[in-house]
Amino acid sequence: MAKRHTSTKRTRSSTTRHQHDHGKGRCLNILRQLSAYIDDELAGDICNEIRRHLGSCPNCEVFVSSLRQTVSLCRHRPSPSLSTDDRAMMRQNILKAAQIR
Amino acid sequence: MRASTTDRSSPTPSHHSRAAKVFDTLYRDHVDLVYRFAHRLCGEPEAAKDLVQETFLNAYRGFEKFRGDAQVSTWLYTIASRACLRMRRRRKCAPERELSLEEFIPTSDGEFRLQIPIDGLSPEEALQNKQLRDALDTAINQLPKKYKMVLVLRDMEGLSAKEVGTIMGLNERAVKSRLHRARLFVRQQLSAQGLGQEIADPEQALLR
Repeated sequence: MAKRHTSTKRTRSSTTRHQHDHGKGRCLNILRQLSAYIDDELAGDICNEIRRHLGSCPNCEVFVSSLRQTVSLCRHRPSPSLSTDDRAMMRQNILKAAQIR
Repeated sequence: MRASTTDRSSPTPSHHSRAAKVFDTLYRDHVDLVYRFAHRLCGEPEAAKDLVQETFLNAYRGFEKFRGDAQVSTWLYTIASRACLRMRRRRKCAPERELSLEEFIPTSDGEFRLQIPIDGLSPEEALQNKQLRDALDTAINQLPKKYKMVLVLRDMEGLSAKEVGTIMGLNERAVKSRLHRARLFVRQQLSAQGLGQEIADPEQALLR
């Protein structure tokens, strides 16, 4: 995968460089709005505009895909659960502290 | 659950037993939710248990302040978030840095194209890989607290931006701005880790 990534980068970078003014301009504007785009919070016309840009800009397309993956990993990260003993012990501690203070 | 001032200064046995009964229901129904949230905020079990106890102790004392106009879970998230920030201050941690949007803007094609190597895997499959899980946890734990809280509440606990705003005392715009920076930070950390090709291989992922 890493190898494929390097080779596509080499072939595409020359063709897309003209579309990019890194750190400024169009891509920067798009990047600012990507969370709102992912969360479907943007108006239809802005959404369409971003979709069009992503279709013609492989760099932003990869970026948005990795941001989506990040959000998706966070959403699915399981969290450990409490044991029955811990649950009971904490309840005792809380009630004890509530009586004392 | 409302108690008079006299009740509070010298609680009667019946007050205690009433409070204990309400507490028991609250605790039974919500301790798992509060622990899950606390574990995500603290990143480890012992600190999370401290935070759960602090949260329910404050809830126990603050029953009368709960007016019932918010969901109980929102109220508990609010108490837990404040307790977490207080515990952090008590440990006299260094002030946390702000995340600026500019630091996440790629400056080269290579940075733009950094990927998280999980193509072809569902998030559940990808997260079976310990290396990826650890990298995700580390990235989230490195977030400054106020960004981490927004990410945890919104992307992990699944609350709306409005609910997160209510809990943290922020407007929705501020919530969304922090969330975006937090996601960009985690993305950058994950993609820059060089996690390796094996994560994209389900067989390898399952072996771990």
